[in-house]
Amino acid sequence: MTSATPPAAPADNGPLLRVRDLAVSFDNRDGPRIQAVDGVHMTVHHRQTLAVVGESGCGKSVTAMSALQLIPRPPGRYDRGRMEFASKRGPVDLVALPEARMREIRGNEIAMIFQEPMTSLNPVYTVGDQIMEAVLLHQEVSDRDAFEIALQAMKDVGIPEAERRIKGYPHQFSGGMRQRVMIAMALACHPRLLLADEPTTALDVTIQAQILELLRDLRETRDMGMMLITHDLGVVAENADVVCVMYAGRVVEYANVLELFGAPLHPYTRGLLNSIPKLGERRERLLTIREIVENEAEFKRLPGAQGGIRPWWPWHDPPADLTPHEGPAGDYHLLEVRPEHWVGVWRTRAIEGHEGRLPDLSYRKPLSEPATGAAAG
Amino acid sequence: MAPPPGRDNPLTRSVAGLIGVGFLAVMLLACLGSLPWTLGSSGREGEIGLPRYNQGEAREGRLPPWWWPVGKDRARRLNEGVPEAVAAEIAARHGADAEDVRARTSGSAAEELRAHWPRYWLGSDVLGRSVLVRSLSGGAISLGIGLSAALLSVLIGTLYGVVSGYAGGRVDGVMMRIVDVLYGLPYILLVVLLAVAVDALVERRVASRVESLSKERAAYVERGLSGFDAERRQDKALVRRVEQEALERIGTGELSAGRRNAVNVVTLLVAIGGVSWLTMARVIRGQVLSLKEQPFIEAARAMGAGWGRIFGRHLLPNLLGPIIVYATLTVPQAILQESFLSFLGIGVKPPLPSWGNLAAEGLVQLNPYESHWWLLFFPCLLLGLTLLALNFVGEGLREAFDPKRGRR
Repeated sequence: MTSATPPAAPADNGPLLRVRDLAVSFDNRDGPRIQAVDGVHMTVHHRQTLAVVGESGCGKSVTAMSALQLIPRPPGRYDRGRMEFASKRGPVDLVALPEARMREIRGNEIAMIFQEPMTSLNPVYTVGDQIMEAVLLHQEVSDRDAFEIALQAMKDVGIPEAERRIKGYPHQFSGGMRQRVMIAMALACHPRLLLADEPTTALDVTIQAQILELLRDLRETRDMGMMLITHDLGVVAENADVVCVMYAGRVVEYANVLELFGAPLHPYTRGLLNSIPKLGERRERLLTIREIVENEAEFKRLPGAQGGIRPWWPWHDPPADLTPHEGPAGDYHLLEVRPEHWVGVWRTRAIEGHEGRLPDLSYRKPLSEPATGAAAG
Repeated sequence: MAPPPGRDNPLTRSVAGLIGVGFLAVMLLACLGSLPWTLGSSGREGEIGLPRYNQGEAREGRLPPWWWPVGKDRARRLNEGVPEAVAAEIAARHGADAEDVRARTSGSAAEELRAHWPRYWLGSDVLGRSVLVRSLSGGAISLGIGLSAALLSVLIGTLYGVVSGYAGGRVDGVMMRIVDVLYGLPYILLVVLLAVAVDALVERRVASRVESLSKERAAYVERGLSGFDAERRQDKALVRRVEQEALERIGTGELSAGRRNAVNVVTLLVAIGGVSWLTMARVIRGQVLSLKEQPFIEAARAMGAGWGRIFGRHLLPNLLGPIIVYATLTVPQAILQESFLSFLGIGVKPPLPSWGNLAAEGLVQLNPYESHWWLLFFPCLLLGLTLLALNFVGEGLREAFDPKRGRR
């Protein structure tokens, strides 16, 4: 180990964030509560990017916001589950943390970048002021030191002429530069976990690539874990180590990126992958997700389907041999169908008694950079 | 580099607004700057230390401004106002007796007398008090009450609006319904009730204090005299001396005229400020409702900022525009309300002047036989111009802060 890692960073002996059976619901004034997230499991390791994929409203953002307790309560409510986070001061359950302790973690140990760089900065302060505020909130430093830290943070995220631009107001920055400022703000306190909620959705493709590369570099140099929320599978393929596909508040598939793209097991994942155009392939029209998930045969392609294992799908009637557990989400199970490849399935008789492992992959893509490769070895 | 100053500054775009700012500055300077002079004692002979705004001689009552042409009748009256010694000297020089000279309205003797007429720039009122002095000090009181009441209403309104908007949900609903109910009540009623209630409270406090102090004085006298024998106690001089001592040590508990005026003014400004924050609260609440959903507020929360920091650093600066605009539009309202109440006799009570009660006094003197127009005209002119200027400034600011009027 030759690279200078922060002394507080422990060896890669455990996950950074472990989400277990998280359930979040929202009050719906005229109707039953809306179950936004229902029994989600996922794990993030150091220097690993976990991509959470799914369509709008599937619970991706709610999961990320729950990690910082940013869900407004009421109408939101944490029904059950844990979010175990390895904080600098020992393991904590993020969902149960009191507000005062939560504030110490927000921005300091877990930072978040939002989708809208245009409106995520306060228009009345210079960007320097806003980065400094993030620093001063969590570090006992003088204003002058905070200014230096802010300046360095801006240089780290590749903002040219940082000395001059640090005095600029958000409206003087382009979208990509604003997102860089947001990242500088998020990273100024050296968080251990970065929650990136669709960080590139509002940016054009060139800038998108730059920002993602920046995030990747920073993840490596800072030994950060990252939860990347997106619905862009191209972004996932490029950046993620582990992919978690969500639908209707539950995880439908969870595997490392090569495995998932190479051999998707859940029909919904296949639908997702088939609905993106591929270079060098001529087709009249793309398949829609619907065409796949409405095809019964697709659900019988899962390994073990002959034995009665059926992929979970909320629009299907439960199989006849369903043997639900007591309690919420008892009809569903996240099953390790193949080694290190999990699929959400109905809790049928075939998997009875089968508890197995919950998703936890410390898998990382092979490091291409020789320098970081040496550090990892 | 920074753009050349003044060219594209939204604050200097409105000409009317700039004129308004200039006029207001002059008005404030004149009214407040002259306070030491208008409140000071006039120092005229025979005066008993009345402040200048309340000082005048009845025989100089209802004189027009000196530059106003006067008819014969009034010229004779003005001649009467010339001091005895001066009149006698002029009469001697012209070989006539003083009575005769005072009756003349033309000729060289009259010209000489004219030079000694009492001069009032804006005329004098019924009691011979200078309208200029009273308008200036009245302006100070009107502006003072207007500004402080507006400040008070801005403070209450902003706080109420922010709490209501930020809390949201049921709290917001209840708080806004309260505002709705208050909107429905006639504010005059509220102000009158408040003024009367405070008056009554003050009177009760004063009365009870006067009573308890008089008892204390009696006890003091009793104690002071207890050392003497019965014969000495009949000595009126001694008794008076002890009573005097008691008075000096203990006092009567009566409110001085100045105190009473202060209570009057403060009551009025609290009453006006206390009823005019409603619009402010609504506007601010609306702004907060839209601001708190802005991603940068959420980003601040995600950064670990607490409630106070989000309020102070992220909400308030973004609210500053509407706060300033509504504050400048509340000031003329408050001044108008103050003047209106004083005009009706509920607000500032004479002899303390305010533009409203000056106008009320002037209106009474307006009659077809002899129009004492200056009594009504000048306070109203100042009031009107000030309100106009404030509204211009408010409009100018609103335009400057309006994001929809994109920067050119």
